[in-house]
Amino acid sequence: MKVQVRNVEDVAIIDCSGDVDLYSSPRLREALLGQIRGGAKSVLVNMGEVGYIDSSGIATLVEGLQLSRTTKTRFGLYSLRSNARSVLELARLHKVFNLFETEQEALEKIGSVQPFGGL
Amino acid sequence: MRIDLTSEPRLLQILRGVVRCRALEAGVPEPEAERLALAVSEAAANVIRHTYGGREDARLALEIRTFPDRLEFVLEDWGPKVCLDQIRHRPLDDVRPGGLGTYFMNCFMDDCSYDPDFAEGNRLRMIKYRQREVAH
Repeated sequence: MKVQVRNVEDVAIIDCSGDVDLYSSPRLREALLGQIRGGAKSVLVNMGEVGYIDSSGIATLVEGLQLSRTTKTRFGLYSLRSNARSVLELARLHKVFNLFETEQEALEKIGSVQPFGGL
Repeated sequence: MRIDLTSEPRLLQILRGVVRCRALEAGVPEPEAERLALAVSEAAANVIRHTYGGREDARLALEIRTFPDRLEFVLEDWGPKVCLDQIRHRPLDDVRPGGLGTYFMNCFMDDCSYDPDFAEGNRLRMIKYRQREVAH
């Protein structure tokens, strides 16, 4: 799995690719929690190249979500493939996360200057 | 077929590949093969995390058996006996990290049970029945 962070204006985007499992999820966790703790106003995870995610990967995303609520950081996921989406749906988490189809949509909604909680 | 491996998390990807490949060879449709791979991987991850406490030098073995009506995945470890009372997934409306691995296993397999006669450790037998052709 590869994890890379880039910034689009004041939004931190975490590009994630490969399998997110017990072995690799600590790398995603480090990047995700690092961005939120580091004061990013908005954090997006690009899931477009994630072909597999297991319960430890889901746990990492939930941890990020919980921390983002504490720090009032806007947080969302986009470009989920069918496998990842179906796992989130099975865990009934698809309505808990802010999910977007594309990066553009995610940036428009998450990156817009609206009060936290508007999503 | 049977594969033996050490309890290194990086090997889970290989384990999934074997399950996926064997399921496809047995005629399982690709989406279901993916789900079976996830279920077996979750079971192995549970062994690595909970039974072996993160140790990477312990042993795991997976045997895959195919039958006309079902596929069986038998996962063995040589750790302390699992306490069945403690194997419970979290309520889905209690959103917090963790507690979903067993849930996914039970969603994607038709039966998961431990062999009480396996004295050396734990033997988890997971069964997926093949979907019957609908007669027209």
